[in-house]
Amino acid sequence: MTHKLTDGGRVLKVGTLARVEGEGAMRIAFEGGDVSDVQLRIYEPPRFYEAFLRGRAHTEPPDITARICGICPVAYQTSACWAVEDACGVAVTEQIRLMRRLLYCGEWIESHALHVFLLHAPDFLGYDGAIEMAADHADVVELGLRLKKAGNALMELVGGRAVHPVNVRVGGFYRFPAAAELGAFRPILAQALDDALAAVAVVAGFDFPDFEQPHEYLSLRAEEGYPIETGSVVTSAGRSFPVGEFAERIEEVHVPHSNALHSRLVATGAPYVVGPLARYTLNSDRLSAPARDAARAAGLGETCRNPFRSIVVRAVELVEACHEALRIVDLWSEGWADRSDPAVPVPPRAGEGYGASEAPRGTLFHRYVLDADGIIRDAQIVPPTSQNQASIEADLRAMATQWAALDDHALQHRCEHAVRNYDPCISCATHFLDLTVERS
Amino acid sequence: MTALVVGLGHADRGDDGVGVVVARRVAELDLPDVVVVDHHDPTALIDLWAGHAPVVVVDAVRSGAPPGRVHRLVVGTNEPALPAASWEASGRGSTHGFGLAAAVALARALHRLPERLVVIGVEAASYRHGEPLSAAVAEAVPEAVELVREEVRNGVPG
Repeated sequence: MTHKLTDGGRVLKVGTLARVEGEGAMRIAFEGGDVSDVQLRIYEPPRFYEAFLRGRAHTEPPDITARICGICPVAYQTSACWAVEDACGVAVTEQIRLMRRLLYCGEWIESHALHVFLLHAPDFLGYDGAIEMAADHADVVELGLRLKKAGNALMELVGGRAVHPVNVRVGGFYRFPAAAELGAFRPILAQALDDALAAVAVVAGFDFPDFEQPHEYLSLRAEEGYPIETGSVVTSAGRSFPVGEFAERIEEVHVPHSNALHSRLVATGAPYVVGPLARYTLNSDRLSAPARDAARAAGLGETCRNPFRSIVVRAVELVEACHEALRIVDLWSEGWADRSDPAVPVPPRAGEGYGASEAPRGTLFHRYVLDADGIIRDAQIVPPTSQNQASIEADLRAMATQWAALDDHALQHRCEHAVRNYDPCISCATHFLDLTVERS
Repeated sequence: MTALVVGLGHADRGDDGVGVVVARRVAELDLPDVVVVDHHDPTALIDLWAGHAPVVVVDAVRSGAPPGRVHRLVVGTNEPALPAASWEASGRGSTHGFGLAAAVALARALHRLPERLVVIGVEAASYRHGEPLSAAVAEAVPEAVELVREEVRNGVPG
């Protein structure tokens, strides 16, 4: 793992960050006690899908882009729908927007529960992973699995299927769940809200290293409520712009060590951060009362710039998603959406359209160019992990200097913890059994 | 109890999709009392397999064997735990990943592992975006389907 260099420095290479060898990797080089280089290769942008979309019908992006990620298919579907509808000059009804929000709450619950409990909590409780943690804290793991299951069930109820929701279409949904189905789901959400509040209490007790991020934060901000399925763009430096300007305001630059593109703001030339910390810092005033109270009780102020505390923000967002899902389910159960159409027609026209939503990991932008027949001529997808990659490297550079004296095992663990703060979507890679066969 | 067959994998990632391909073939056989699903996230297995017996999971594996080699592993509660090396790289050493072996180890720790769990693994060659199954892996699909069929036919709990 450690190679002595002739110049007396040392190089740490971690080659098994992801499930595909060579796809996820981190390289930190020290010269003396100083970090001379940090290179992270954790995420491959969805270039294949952008190419695959060209020449397809304008109705296809929700189905095709849902395949990009098994953890956040709804994010891809939702941003895709907004972008195609924008290109076609169509606005959906408030009922359709709210049903998208409800489906999206299911995805937030599932994704955040997975990350908080199975991937991030072991870092704070001093375990190598969830498996070791389960031996001593089975209740914590079960709490996470129960929340994850509730999110999964909500996605199945609204989306038809949890992994690649099939009920989503450009213009809305094939069908709305019946008011009675949603009403029957209420007890599961009520339990999930209790579990989410318990989750905040659990993670609030962790120890957090002192570290403050200097980067500009970027998230959506909606006309009302916490940003989930829609909004326009705001940043912590006071910038604001409509989603339709993202291609001019954000540039993607190739970096030599990675297949990924690094994103930066055109205005500053600097990297920025999307995700829970950005959402919270820019929208904490929009949290529901239970989520805001939970945040306060957990010691969060109005903003949060410590990436290690992202686990607390994710838990607060679990509360928000459960509370919001309950609110929407109650609206529906009261007959608010009776007889409303689950979709609006989206006749094709030539044009360009933009869409964005807040994936669990941060803002996800889509852009499509359609011809008059609705055939996709160009597609651009800017996922949160590629936007965050430069900031993750910057964090590692700043932190690793303090950690230069640690041995490799400890250093590797700290670095992985720092990467996990961002919940990077390397799950979009593949998974397989890393099998060792022993023969005697 | 109904049997459960799970195909794990990502259909757009070359040989990573072999679990999904095998599961779909098994579904087409329309076997009685067998539920067939495909899934992307191994942590979902712990809830998916509750109440089913036997449980068969099909996934791409990497062991150094020639591509297309079909492995059969019995990993239920009566079997010894998987060696840590089998899930370290795909499970705990990862920033995000949670592989099948890690899910099995977690289920064991939580006492939620099925009594009889059979993993049918197909040695994969390539995981490139947008590629179909490699020739060796595609050729192995019928053998994997047959092994799954035998497991659900003969697999009596315990």
